[in-house]
Amino acid sequence: MNLHFADYLVIFIYFVFVVAVGVIIKKKITSSNDFLNSNKSIPLWITSLAFISANLGAQEVLGMVASGAKYGIMTVHFYWVGAIFAMVFLGVFMMPFYYGSKARSVPEYLFLRFDEKTRALNALTFAAMTIFSSGISLYALAKLLEVILHWNFDLCIWIAAGIVMAYTLLGGLTSAVYNEVLQFFLIVLGLSPLVIVALQDAGGWDTIRTNLEPQLTHAWRYMGDADANPMGIHFMSLIFGLGFVMSFGYWCTDFLVVQRAMIAKNMSAAQRTPIIAAIPKMFMPLIVVLPGVIAIALTKSALDSGDYRIPTDATGGYDYTMTLPSLIAHYYPSGLLGVGITALIASFMSGMAGNVTAFNAVFTYDIYQAYFFKNKSDKHYLNVGKLVTLFGILFSIGTAYIAASFNNINDFLQLVFSFVNGPLFATFLLGMFWKRTTGHGAFWGLVAGTLAAAITHGLTIAEGKGGWISPMYPISSGMGQAFIVASFSWIANFFTTIAVSLVTKPKPDEELRGLVYSLTEKVYGTEKRWYLKPAPLGIILLVITILLNILFF
Amino acid sequence: MSEKLNQLSFIIGVFFILVALVLLIGYGTSSSLKHAINLYTGTAMMVFGLVMIKLKA
Repeated sequence: MNLHFADYLVIFIYFVFVVAVGVIIKKKITSSNDFLNSNKSIPLWITSLAFISANLGAQEVLGMVASGAKYGIMTVHFYWVGAIFAMVFLGVFMMPFYYGSKARSVPEYLFLRFDEKTRALNALTFAAMTIFSSGISLYALAKLLEVILHWNFDLCIWIAAGIVMAYTLLGGLTSAVYNEVLQFFLIVLGLSPLVIVALQDAGGWDTIRTNLEPQLTHAWRYMGDADANPMGIHFMSLIFGLGFVMSFGYWCTDFLVVQRAMIAKNMSAAQRTPIIAAIPKMFMPLIVVLPGVIAIALTKSALDSGDYRIPTDATGGYDYTMTLPSLIAHYYPSGLLGVGITALIASFMSGMAGNVTAFNAVFTYDIYQAYFFKNKSDKHYLNVGKLVTLFGILFSIGTAYIAASFNNINDFLQLVFSFVNGPLFATFLLGMFWKRTTGHGAFWGLVAGTLAAAITHGLTIAEGKGGWISPMYPISSGMGQAFIVASFSWIANFFTTIAVSLVTKPKPDEELRGLVYSLTEKVYGTEKRWYLKPAPLGIILLVITILLNILFF
Repeated sequence: MSEKLNQLSFIIGVFFILVALVLLIGYGTSSSLKHAINLYTGTAMMVFGLVMIKLKA
């Protein structure tokens, strides 16, 4: 793939703008709250788009296109089962506690609701995960640019890290959030023409449905039997594993996304942030799943509608990860090619900046301030926040090189992430809706959930992964294994938390006001018009989501 | 002007207008960029950029 001057110019304009956003925001940063929390002053439309964009990193964009090619239209389950319901639940039921408790982070909520050790466990694991995730985004960006454009790997790492560092260090969270919105529009507008021309080349959706196996064009029809669908998953595993445990575990407890709602101007806006974000999220499969389905349709020789083929790897199998870059290279001429490449770069940088800004808030508030220097001046914490951002970027560069040394580190990280995140929602569900839940119960529940995840992974084997204790239970796909691991970890956490809570002393009611549903005054928002209230909006979105599932059944 | 620079919609609008100009000027002046998809995308981005600026103007 060779770039024209116009392509370089588009990339250059993008780099100038993201850094310029940091420069513009810089003058507004006067306190640690401004830098780490945006002073809770961000308008609703920005927090909503940042909420979805923080999740629109490279793994999402490249990964979902790859899954679209590999599993077909079933990939939409990650949106219509694994996202919308949890986002609505977060907005309607959980944001009142996050926002109303005045916690500055998710680990801090755990401290207020439970105790120090539960916060410490969550803060430390989250901080480590964000740095590794950020580093892997950086590695993947450099690797992609090296493979498709033959750019120098080291140079790509340092330039991309330098640009992210420039705008996050200058403007803190606000700068990252503003750039996430710019990146969102760039990804959507940059990839939309690809969907249109590729769909046209494939002969339209009806032709694709006619020529592809029906398992690739139906979301639910073949899920009654795990062996009959490309994901190898029974619908019950999907609904509980993805639709409940993994989805709610991620969207409702991961500070990376929840942080975007917590910086809204008021409670009403904070509640509506994930709900408004669910609207573009609902239609995101058009941008990131459909291209994968089109690619596999074009590749199938029966179609014979063009010369596009999904690239193959060293073993001769399809290299699904390269589906999106290969589509861009095939369909985009000079000029638009620069836009497409910039959209890919934006998705990587968005993922990295999101992780770094979540890391610096958690590290500064929940580790540094909580355990090392409690009563310093605000200027001190502002400087620490900036220093942590700098070190966060440097650590990310380090983890990017670690990732380069181990070809399976991303799989390993995703696995550890599922061990840690999988059971977390049980802790929050019990903590927010059962006042009897204790700090000891939450802590040991998390430990038990993580252990259960590890043991389940050690006893199951899928696509050669897992089974390190004993490969007793073979599962046909890695994704199915992930759902089962998450399900067992959630169940272990849920029952351990209940059991330990019943034999330990709970906090008195007066300490739990504003933190637990039954002890919190119900505020239904100040908005008079129904379409501005979270619950009616959420119900409408759920109805549309169900209709979409039926439409692509 | 400095007030406008503080508006994110203005910044996004200017960004997409500049990208649109690259595509449209390239379409009109360079044979490498003379593809209909550059013209259509450039036009769409120009319209989007102008709408974003107009939103807060």
